[in-house]
Amino acid sequence: MIAPYVLVFLVFVVYPVTYGLWLARHPQSYVTLFDDPVFFRTVVNTIVFLMVAVNVKFALALFLSGFFVHDRAWIRWLSVIFIIPWAVPAIPTIFSIRFMLNPEWGIINSVWFRLTALDGPNWLNDPTLGLTMAMVVHIWKALPFWTLILIAGRLAIPRELYEASSVDGATSWQKFKYVTWPSIRTLYLSSTILSMIWTLGDFNSVYLLTGGGPADLTHVLATLGIRYIRLDQVDQAMATIVVALPFVLPLVYFMMKRLSANE
Amino acid sequence: MAGVSFREVVKTFGKTRVLHGISLDITDGEFVVLVGPSGCGKSTLLRMLAGLEDITGGTIAIDGRVVNDVDSKDRDIAMVFQSYALYPHMTVRDNMGFSLKLRNEKQALIDQRVATAAKILNLEPYLGRYPRELSGGQRQRVAMGRAIVRDPKVFLFDEPLSNLDAKLRVAMRTEIKALHQRLKTTTVYVTHDQIEAMTMADRIAVMNEGRIEQLGRPLELYDRPANLFVAQFIGSPAMNIFDGVVQSGAVEALGVRWPANGGASDGQRVRYGIRPEHLEPASAGIPAEVVVVEPMGAETEIVAKVGDAPITVMMRGRSNAGPGERIHLAPQAAHAHLFDAASGIRI
Ligand SMILES: Nc1ncnc2c1ncn2[C@@H]1O[C@H](COP(=O)(O)OP(=O)(O)OP(=O)(O)O)[C@@H](O)[C@H]1O
Ligand SMILES: [Mg+2]
Repeated sequence: MIAPYVLVFLVFVVYPVTYGLWLARHPQSYVTLFDDPVFFRTVVNTIVFLMVAVNVKFALALFLSGFFVHDRAWIRWLSVIFIIPWAVPAIPTIFSIRFMLNPEWGIINSVWFRLTALDGPNWLNDPTLGLTMAMVVHIWKALPFWTLILIAGRLAIPRELYEASSVDGATSWQKFKYVTWPSIRTLYLSSTILSMIWTLGDFNSVYLLTGGGPADLTHVLATLGIRYIRLDQVDQAMATIVVALPFVLPLVYFMMKRLSANE
Repeated sequence: MAGVSFREVVKTFGKTRVLHGISLDITDGEFVVLVGPSGCGKSTLLRMLAGLEDITGGTIAIDGRVVNDVDSKDRDIAMVFQSYALYPHMTVRDNMGFSLKLRNEKQALIDQRVATAAKILNLEPYLGRYPRELSGGQRQRVAMGRAIVRDPKVFLFDEPLSNLDAKLRVAMRTEIKALHQRLKTTTVYVTHDQIEAMTMADRIAVMNEGRIEQLGRPLELYDRPANLFVAQFIGSPAMNIFDGVVQSGAVEALGVRWPANGGASDGQRVRYGIRPEHLEPASAGIPAEVVVVEPMGAETEIVAKVGDAPITVMMRGRSNAGPGERIHLAPQAAHAHLFDAASGIRI
């Protein structure tokens, strides 16, 4: 009875992976890739994106989850509004953010000009600012999901533990340190790793906002492949995916190890 | 150590009022048990004393200081929860020393206090273990250890024994009582088990629907229940109670005359109460038909029918009566209880 699973595995995993690797088989692809100055910049961007965006996102999610676990009616309503960025489709919303950030006619700089009588920053035409805005969009979009996960983790902690620690004399910070954190630490770390894997594949936040520009300076590995495909360099595109493996595989490995350790 | 006093304490959750003005004074070193049926508000009252619930009305004072607006952590109390609430990521040693650690006590002092408590509670072999590696009874002891290392002003217990099996419960009952005799810390203990209340308490407060029905020493409640509720709640097997009418010093009930002493006037409608052990089978008296005989060794419990009403009888020794047999019951007039039929208050 394992035949169907094997078939699914062959069709959806083995075939595409093998085909991709086969396309990426020419050593020349890698030489060209490593010689491309855009590639080096992309790797740096990717590392920055992973380290900064994921950790900022999780720090915020941890903080917000502590707020949203409070059992009040208005907090419930607020949490519904808070979920929206995650629930709406990515493409139109990211495009609309892109329009809002337009330096000449975007709403943000219009308001900026009205308030300060100065021109606003050139949000997406500056590589640092552009990548930063891509990270902001990424965080904005993914934060609700991870906040929900951490809320679930916090809700699983028995209320008596907090009551016992109150009676024992703990302050709010000590309750976090001795009750909350030990209980959700595993979830927090596993989620961080999973989020890193997903973030590596986050194409939308960068591509829809900056398109990798200006001058291909804000690409990440997830968008670099598309750049090559648009240049009709399919095996080059496949090579970028292979190059991303050293990032992904250790994360996947840690993730699997954590999952099996938790059994 | 300190006294505790409740003054007209009221609690509402939203629109429902669950405590209707509780007043209770507990003296220094006393062991007071709050007992009552499920939902009567005993945990709520205890949690208000612990600072885990807001006080809607009235005042609660510990050691003469009103604590209505004092945080749990500043009330200097220790509490044992029904679920034990041990910190799952700490060893037994760290669980027990936690409150001292939060107070920035010296490690040497913490170690010494934990060692003493572990010795009292026979927990020495388990100090390095995590709560999940302990049995229910051991966890219960750790929860007590966590309370006693601190030497607090008041101990609070909320049904600490209800997750244990019957045998362990009896053993822990004795242990908690011995602990109290040794430490003499003021204790408020919540349970729905009247036997626990009777065996452990200096004084019992019987609660029902957010009120204290009666407060007194265990045998006081047993011998002179203030009303029908207490009469029915305290004592196992429960007191026999039935409707009757007073007639020249006795009570007409179930078609026969039950001896009673004084207090009520002729023709008054009453509820007549008599405990099972105050009804002895005798050669003459109230005729009854045996339904069930339950020998327990030293005593025998007999359920018999007088008219159509089942009556429980507890006799010392053994009985050779069998189901269907007719016997006679002799009630001890001195131990009969009369309650007003309308108000349920003792006459
Ligand atoms: N947080 C709450 N919100 C609303 N009602 C509550 C809350 N806590 C308790 N109650 C109500 O208050 C009443 C008293 O509850 P409490 O827990 O004090 O009862 P209890 O005497 O301890 O019962 P048990 O023996 O079942 O533990 C109950 O009717 C309960 O439904
Ligand atoms: Mg309770």
